[in-house]
Amino acid sequence: MDNFLDALSVLILFSSFVLVANKRAKSYIKTFRMQSALIALATGIMGIESFFADGHIDILIVCVLIIALKVIYIPNLLNKTLANVEYKVEKDFFYNIPLLIFICCSITAFCYTCILTIHGINTDVLNMQVVNSIALILIGLFFMISRKKIIGQMVGFLVIENGLFVAAIFSTHGMPFIVDLGIFIDLITAIMIMGIMAFKINEKFDSIDINKLKNLRG
Amino acid sequence: MKNALYVLVQLFVILLLAPLVNGIIKKIKAFSQKRRGAPVLQMYFDLWKLFRKQAVVSETSSWIFKAAPYIVFSTAIIAALLVPVSTLLTPNAFFGDVILLVSLFALGRFFMTLAALDTGGTFGGMGSSREVMISSLIEPSLLVSVFTIGLISKSTTILAMMNTTKNITFPLAQPAFIMVFLALFTIIIAETSRIPVDDPETHLELTMVHEAMILEYSGRHLALIELGAVVKQLVFITLLVNIFIPHDQLIALAGVSGLLLSLLIYVVKVILIAVLMAIAEISTVKLRLFSVPNLAALSFILAFLGFLQYFVLWR
Amino acid sequence: MLLPGILFKAAIFLFIFAAFASLVLMKYHKLCNIAANIICIAASIVGISVAAMQILYYSDNVIIDIYHSAIPFLTINLKIDALSSFFLLALFLLVLCVSIYSIGYNSHYYGKRNVGLFNLLYATFILSMFFVITSGNAVFFFIAWEAMSLLSYLLVVFESENEANQRAGTLYIIMTHIGTAFLLIGFMIMFSYTKSFDMFADSSAIPAFAKNIMFILFLIGFGTKAGVVPVHIWLPHAHPAAPSNISALMSGIMIKTAIYGLLRFVFMYMGIQNKWWGVAILIIGIITAIIGVSYAFIEKNIKRLLAYSSIENIGILFIGLGVAFIAKAQGNLTVCALAITAALFHSFNHTLFKGSLFLGAGSVHYATHSKNMEELGGLIKKMPVTAIFMLGGALAVSAIVPFNGFASEWLTFQSLFANIALGQAGLNIAFILAVAALAMAGAFAAACFIKLFGISFLGKPRSKYAANAKEVPAVMNIAMGILTSFCLLIGLFPMLVLRFIDKVVFSLVGSSIFGQFQGGFLTAAYPLKIAENAISPFTILIAIIGVILLTLIIIRIIGGKYIERKYGTWDCGYEALNARMQYSATGFSNPIKIIFKLLFQPTRRLKVEGNLVYHPKSIEYITSFESVFEKYLYSPLLNKTRNFSRKAKFLIQTGSINTYLIYIFIVVIALILYNRLV
Repeated sequence: MDNFLDALSVLILFSSFVLVANKRAKSYIKTFRMQSALIALATGIMGIESFFADGHIDILIVCVLIIALKVIYIPNLLNKTLANVEYKVEKDFFYNIPLLIFICCSITAFCYTCILTIHGINTDVLNMQVVNSIALILIGLFFMISRKKIIGQMVGFLVIENGLFVAAIFSTHGMPFIVDLGIFIDLITAIMIMGIMAFKINEKFDSIDINKLKNLRG
Repeated sequence: MKNALYVLVQLFVILLLAPLVNGIIKKIKAFSQKRRGAPVLQMYFDLWKLFRKQAVVSETSSWIFKAAPYIVFSTAIIAALLVPVSTLLTPNAFFGDVILLVSLFALGRFFMTLAALDTGGTFGGMGSSREVMISSLIEPSLLVSVFTIGLISKSTTILAMMNTTKNITFPLAQPAFIMVFLALFTIIIAETSRIPVDDPETHLELTMVHEAMILEYSGRHLALIELGAVVKQLVFITLLVNIFIPHDQLIALAGVSGLLLSLLIYVVKVILIAVLMAIAEISTVKLRLFSVPNLAALSFILAFLGFLQYFVLWR
Repeated sequence: MLLPGILFKAAIFLFIFAAFASLVLMKYHKLCNIAANIICIAASIVGISVAAMQILYYSDNVIIDIYHSAIPFLTINLKIDALSSFFLLALFLLVLCVSIYSIGYNSHYYGKRNVGLFNLLYATFILSMFFVITSGNAVFFFIAWEAMSLLSYLLVVFESENEANQRAGTLYIIMTHIGTAFLLIGFMIMFSYTKSFDMFADSSAIPAFAKNIMFILFLIGFGTKAGVVPVHIWLPHAHPAAPSNISALMSGIMIKTAIYGLLRFVFMYMGIQNKWWGVAILIIGIITAIIGVSYAFIEKNIKRLLAYSSIENIGILFIGLGVAFIAKAQGNLTVCALAITAALFHSFNHTLFKGSLFLGAGSVHYATHSKNMEELGGLIKKMPVTAIFMLGGALAVSAIVPFNGFASEWLTFQSLFANIALGQAGLNIAFILAVAALAMAGAFAAACFIKLFGISFLGKPRSKYAANAKEVPAVMNIAMGILTSFCLLIGLFPMLVLRFIDKVVFSLVGSSIFGQFQGGFLTAAYPLKIAENAISPFTILIAIIGVILLTLIIIRIIGGKYIERKYGTWDCGYEALNARMQYSATGFSNPIKIIFKLLFQPTRRLKVEGNLVYHPKSIEYITSFESVFEKYLYSPLLNKTRNFSRKAKFLIQTGSINTYLIYIFIVVIALILYNRLV
């Protein structure tokens, strides 16, 4: 079982690289959906394990929540936002994709070499999964940095959120249920507010390129 | 004696199976386009016909044009001898490893691209230039992948790699192995000129890479090049399949019957991967030429992550 | 014991005699050329035999004392041990072939330039390199190093009527002197702690921090001569400017003296103290390899492409050396031995195949008076022998089975493989990146040489020079042939050279990899084996030939006799193709230029007369790239220096006598004060 979780954690990390390599807004949402599906799978495996071990079903409920929210609801919400917003086909990122991937690769290598030396992580099991998750958080933040349109910022925020969740659940195999619920409600609120903001920005400026904020200087 | 048997079995299996793999992929693609498509065994008939046709040679070309098909074919055959189809039948002495394999294919590619430039036409130069770009971008990923597997099995010899993964319960569940498997799968798609890197059935100059290089060939030269290409494809598939989905540890029989069972399971595995490749081909489009570096970068990341999982995180 | 000493002195005398002869016979160009080169050939044959004997059979060093003078530290003595003999072996082998080549190549200077002067400089240049490799103390090393730089400068600007050559020479002499300055400071530090310039002595008197500083100084100094990034900018200008036989020597041996210097001064004299030395060299090697080969790929001048390829190979050598230094610092002697073997073997192979390629470029220039690939084409039909040897050299440099480049790259990969072990996280990442860089550099190098051979030799001739080319004189082809056949021979039987290298490595590290050698040349056919990974290029070649023959027989059976019909190349049904419709060198490298935009900063302009799409009268497409290092690193530095000196000129050199007298007064007071305080 542990091997499956290891393999899943590294596949989730790889999906974040695929996200950075994407060039169009619709693909961001599709990749995010796939990443959330992988996380749901991992949570499901952990839930079944804990169900057979002590009979707790809270991780299974968390898994169902993830599927409902992150795989179905939030991507659909983002798609609707995208459909209503002015979309010009232009280059959405800085420099070129292989350079961005190379930077993400160095971020991952950096995470691996630094976090390994933290006492407590260096014992057997937690090793790989936690480090992968922290790398995921940093790559989500880098994704936010490298994208010009607001849809990029939103998906980046969601990936950071994913990373935090995965870090928590891989290291403890379950959080207090109320904490999970709180996180999810926070998430939905944040996304709805960001979606509304996207509408408003688009109305005002006829574009969702956040670089145009520079025109407000002075 | 054992060596002679090994050589015969390898050549027989690989030469016979290679055109079949191509036929299966084409058939699946045809089905997905709602056509009946050519018969699965079509390539055998094509090769037979081509061998007996006259060759038309360009006046501008030199001996390199006529020598290249033989070199491409023989390097593919030698590479086929280096990758065993079944670990139950192995030679006594094994003088080749993955780095030699990569270099053999580089030899074939060197002469292929030279022959394309030899004809003095525009298509040849275009095919060579694109092919050279794609192969340079794919090569680091290929070497990092095979190095990772080699480091896990403590040897760069292919037989040692196959023997090591036989002892792991389910290799594809290990994080390092699944990453390297995906990386090698992407590399196979690039090296065998399949969609999304290059379309193997096109003749438009916008989309040709491999086809542009062999545009001038006809007759037995073309047959040798096509056969060499499918043998190369099968060698890569064998490498993938025998390292990541090992089956010889499940065979309890010994002797000839054990060998036959092993070969049968090998054929099934190859057909499985061929179907997977066909599905990958029909579900994507051919990438713009300058988007191929993105794919190469992703492939490198897969291999690098695989290496990191094993060697930095100790799993 | 005496025999090697006598033979080495004989070789030195023969070179001096060659220089003397070319001075005396200066008026008779042809006689001078042939005489000087034949004497050089004799000297190099003597040199090869004695170097080989010295490595194999003699274990003591040969010490030749030439001159002890009363001036302190000015002794001229040579000390020849296994490492020096190995580099001498490479030097003399290359000199042999280049001298044979020069008999034919210099003939296009007859009557136009001073061939006697050329041969004088040539013989003394070889002698200076000899002294660099064999000098017994640091002062003489420095003198020989300076002489080598000066003589090569004079040879680079030999064709001085071309302004580009003059600029190339100036850049070269400035850069090499900057490097030499760093070396000088390093030697000074060495003297101030050990009170002697003997680099075969003990270095324990030097404290650790001083050794770190010396390492950095030596790295920069030797790196400038070797041509590592970012101090490589002189190499792509100097090597093409020189005549081709000199370029072969410079690329083949002169940049290897830097590797010799690093091994002698850092590895043997100082001993490796810290791991970061090796890591620094490894990272420099990775960057140099990738940048060198990227710039090589977009060049259209044949010799500049070869110069950038030399930079790439120096990068590969630095990767091998870096691995060796790291292994030594960790105390892992077998891996260290393996890595140094790989580096020395690659250095030897590079001498051979780069020499062959430069000689080939010289032959092409001799036949067509052009170094620009875009004016060539179709030469394989006009110069078939040169083409075959050039193809061999191209296959060797691309590290393709069964040539020698593959054997040495295989060893480098094996040394990286042996060094990646569990538990050293940061180093593992550096090593795997080195593997990726090596793979990419190898693939790009193959691409470069496909471009070089394909565009220059294949297809249709692109200019009337190429159309009228004729085969070069036989001596030039013989020289290239010797080098290329050695490439193939060493590739098939790597043990021939590895037994020499093994002795050298044993003397350096104390551990031998191929220790279980018996018998004479019968062991040459052994597969190359490192810890259960074995390759046998000989078997592969036999197998390839066997398969080709078998294929020919089977096709004859299936398809009948081979009938071919000659026709034009496919032209889509339009009119016949002309030479302008082929791919040009620029077009071939266009995809890579666009992908690596950051490195090249290409610019493009399109000038159209008439309607672009339907009825263009003429279309002019201009694309250019520039070297990023010159634009972003050196030009700002130069501008700052220039501005600073201009300001300083006004401030310090005021032209007033009183100010100058005040300067003298202040300095004298300061010296007296220094004497009081210290």
